[in-house]
Amino acid sequence: MSQPLEFRPEAEDAVSDEGEALRFMRPHFGEEKFPWIQIWGYIGSLVLTFAALIMVVDHVLPPLALLSVILALAVGQAALQLGVFMHLRESRGLAWQIIFLGMVLLMAVGMVGMSIWIMTFKSGVS
Amino acid sequence: MSLPVEDEKIIQHVPAEFSDEKESIKITGFWMFLVTDVLIFASLFSSYAVFKNQVAQGPSASQLFTLGPVILETLLLLTSSFTIGLAIYAMRKENKRALMFWLILTLLLGAGFVTAEVHDFVTFVSAGATWHKSAFLSGFYILVGTHGAHVTFGIIWAATLLFQVARRGLTAVTTRKLFTFSLYWHFLDIVWIFIFTFVYLNGKIV
Repeated sequence: MSQPLEFRPEAEDAVSDEGEALRFMRPHFGEEKFPWIQIWGYIGSLVLTFAALIMVVDHVLPPLALLSVILALAVGQAALQLGVFMHLRESRGLAWQIIFLGMVLLMAVGMVGMSIWIMTFKSGVS
Repeated sequence: MSLPVEDEKIIQHVPAEFSDEKESIKITGFWMFLVTDVLIFASLFSSYAVFKNQVAQGPSASQLFTLGPVILETLLLLTSSFTIGLAIYAMRKENKRALMFWLILTLLLGAGFVTAEVHDFVTFVSAGATWHKSAFLSGFYILVGTHGAHVTFGIIWAATLLFQVARRGLTAVTTRKLFTFSLYWHFLDIVWIFIFTFVYLNGKIV
């Protein structure tokens, strides 16, 4: 492993071919001596979970504001899981999963949001 | 045909699971599967969101849920997400013993989660809150149950991987399988966080 690398990683070649437009999909591999990132990720996820729990148990905000805040905490926690544990930016060549995830985020938010919105119209019936 | 794993790792400067071109593309494929799974859960969350106040003669969310068992389940799943993260870290360090230790721990934590969830469901059903009682309960059981089925499948998958790693060691194929399993497991953790927030905590906001 100690000999100098004679070949440039394929990943970088792919990026240079694509130019700057797909720069955000450039793969990135994390390398650590000790799993600090995982430990901080775990502590972070516990803090976010208990923050949401305590806010609900203590009723610190009016219902709709409280729901918005705990959903924001959940989104933060999802981002933390993706970034810390799921190696989001790792790939051989460009990290296409970033595009997939962006698309599905749009679809999922649309699906849930639009369902809730459309059903408010017949709230008197159902 | 790719080069042997060791050569590929040096030339490509990527971890073992990305070292084989064909195995590596399966990781991208697995991300696509997860994306479709997001849509399954999105549709189940939609139906739950729409039905959560349609309680008919049955109990409402705030009457039914107790946060104690749910916090236990959340802690078990969050910890298992951490241990599978450590398993992948050990895999990258080519430490097979540590990898298997963390994988077994993940498996046990997952089993603990499913046990707690089944116990929860049995408690609800014995109190008369079955899934045909109200639209709210139908939405609840189908959403939380689909997640629980995913976790159960994940446990079986992890058990098979444990045998494969024990017999074949850390090859381009087994590391790729372990990596995709870790993606699956973290994904289930994310889904659970939204169930915890939107179903259980939201149920307690009155």
